[in-house]
Amino acid sequence: MKRVLIANRGEIALRIVRACHEEGLEAVAVHSAADRTSPHVRAADFAVPIGPASPTESYLSIPRLLEAAEASGADGVHPGYGFLAERAAFAEAVDGAGLTWIGPPASAIRAMGDKTEARRRMEAAGVPIVPGAVAPLTDAGAARSLAEQIGYPVIVKAAAGGGGKGMRVVTAAEELEPALVAAGSEALKSFGDASVYLEKFIERPRHVEIQVLADAARTVHLGERECSIQRRHQKLVEEAPSVAVSDTRRERMGAAAVAAASAVGYRSAGTCEFLLAADGSFYFLEMNTRIQVEHPVTELVYGVDLVREQLRIARGLPMSVASRPLHPRGWAIECRLTSEDPANGFLPSTGRIEYLRPPAGPGVRWDSGIDVGNDVTLYYDSMLAKLIVWAPDRPQAIARMRRALEELVLVGVATNQGFHVRLMDDEAFQQGDVDIQFLDRRSDLLEPRPDTDRELQLAVAAALAEDAARRARRPLVTADGDGSGAWGRLARQEALR
Amino acid sequence: MKYFVSAGGREIEVEVDGEQVVAAGRRVTASLTTIPGSPVRQLLLDGRSVALPIEPAGSGRWAVTLHGERRELEVVDARTRHIRSLTGDDRKPGGPANLVAPMPGLVVRVQVQPGDEVPAGAPLVVLEAMKMENQLKSAGPGRVAAVRVQPGQAVEKGQVLLEFAAPAP
Repeated sequence: MKRVLIANRGEIALRIVRACHEEGLEAVAVHSAADRTSPHVRAADFAVPIGPASPTESYLSIPRLLEAAEASGADGVHPGYGFLAERAAFAEAVDGAGLTWIGPPASAIRAMGDKTEARRRMEAAGVPIVPGAVAPLTDAGAARSLAEQIGYPVIVKAAAGGGGKGMRVVTAAEELEPALVAAGSEALKSFGDASVYLEKFIERPRHVEIQVLADAARTVHLGERECSIQRRHQKLVEEAPSVAVSDTRRERMGAAAVAAASAVGYRSAGTCEFLLAADGSFYFLEMNTRIQVEHPVTELVYGVDLVREQLRIARGLPMSVASRPLHPRGWAIECRLTSEDPANGFLPSTGRIEYLRPPAGPGVRWDSGIDVGNDVTLYYDSMLAKLIVWAPDRPQAIARMRRALEELVLVGVATNQGFHVRLMDDEAFQQGDVDIQFLDRRSDLLEPRPDTDRELQLAVAAALAEDAARRARRPLVTADGDGSGAWGRLARQEALR
Repeated sequence: MKYFVSAGGREIEVEVDGEQVVAAGRRVTASLTTIPGSPVRQLLLDGRSVALPIEPAGSGRWAVTLHGERRELEVVDARTRHIRSLTGDDRKPGGPANLVAPMPGLVVRVQVQPGDEVPAGAPLVVLEAMKMENQLKSAGPGRVAAVRVQPGQAVEKGQVLLEFAAPAP
């Protein structure tokens, strides 16, 4: 493998370009019409336009991606995350075209992609799972009786889903049917498959996931990431390690994740997501058969480059991870910067990036796919960038993230930066007292907070800016000056020229 | 020169005389320096240094982006403010506001019909954007006077989706 086509866009495409270059491989970027000037295109060695802005005609089009691979002479394909990353048919098409697929085998994607099938296989492999349906629901009546049997609250999920799309929590029988309809329609739009299933909803669990890495000889785990800070099932902040995971619990959860991966013949990097209940019991949710958004926090505490390991494994090389037991070192936190407007109910905001000053300094990593002049549109995911920090311990990591967030300046589109600032300042978060419903209870963190000192600063700044602008327009005559005398007359005449 | 700066319903009086500024009755020393090649300006307020991206947003209006949150402030001088108070050009009487699209998107479902009486928080329209369905709810009680969109329709930010009238007495 010499030349890798990256079937993705944004920050992950740039991340993969960087890994390719460090591995001595050439990188081929693909781009829709909307992404012609994106950083991932500029960073790559080759760039191939693959269609209009709409993802179905570009980043989701298998024929166009294969044509791009052929045209550019690529001999490997990395799917990134999202788009076609977990589509077994894409992995097969890449293999079929004689190219190297940088990811797990299609059979493993298929086994884990169908959530109900995955549950059956995990149960058989002895991996703990949440009580619920093992088959997609066929009608509302069956759903009702199953919900009665396992008891409310229950959660409705898309069978082909992930990333929070097509999910609904149902607390009472009368909410079940509307939830089934909504989840089904969202699932159909996002994944082209409307089937949903239902399971027991565990209250106030943490979302803890285990990173696994498998080559032809070994399957290992690289500890946990805690991703409990979620809004509407979308992760916003991730950290590694987790305050709720001791060394012994890490080994137990790690062993379960390795068993899950082995059960489907896994290769490459993957993640097993678990719910960790307050009593220490944990339940397998699903396996993401791809590199994940939040992979950098694991990289920072384990000193591993997961994307480079994916490239090595795809080339048939052994992973470069030591075979002795591994332990996390220090603490890493990631904040997802999204184009969601806190002042507008966290709805997506669009616009052109007019100015960007990313944070820097010790322990700061900025993984971003945007630059000044890029347009943020509604065609793609709202995540603009990931801000990741490392520090020797959690309090220092929080302080460092707070500092880095203060340095970040992005103008042109509203973002959730202020939310991250408020979260880092929050006492409950600082104590690690979080679970996946944290933000449901703490919606105050989502909204801008009045700050009288700040308001005075803004008012003075605006008044000074207005004053300077007026002076620049009319150098001497001001609205409250009388403008009499020779200098005033001269200024008026100058202003009229 | 005396200015009145308003943002989010609050008004702060700021008198500027070079670097001598009286803000909300407090006498301070303040200066604002433009950082070349950027919208960022460095505010020095009694020695405290704050970097703020400030951009003009139309006559007398300034947009400040702070931690990703964009806020518009309006700066008027005393004379303009006085004229406005005479012409009564400050506030219109409030009625139930129409439902407007908070973002560009696709109408998935309209959950009300003309004539429906809805309480505060009632589901009105489902709008899809960025592959997520967003439930728009009523801000207060009201009666639906007209439905201006239909499912499948693409809408722009700010477009009126539903018209409201006061609830029947």
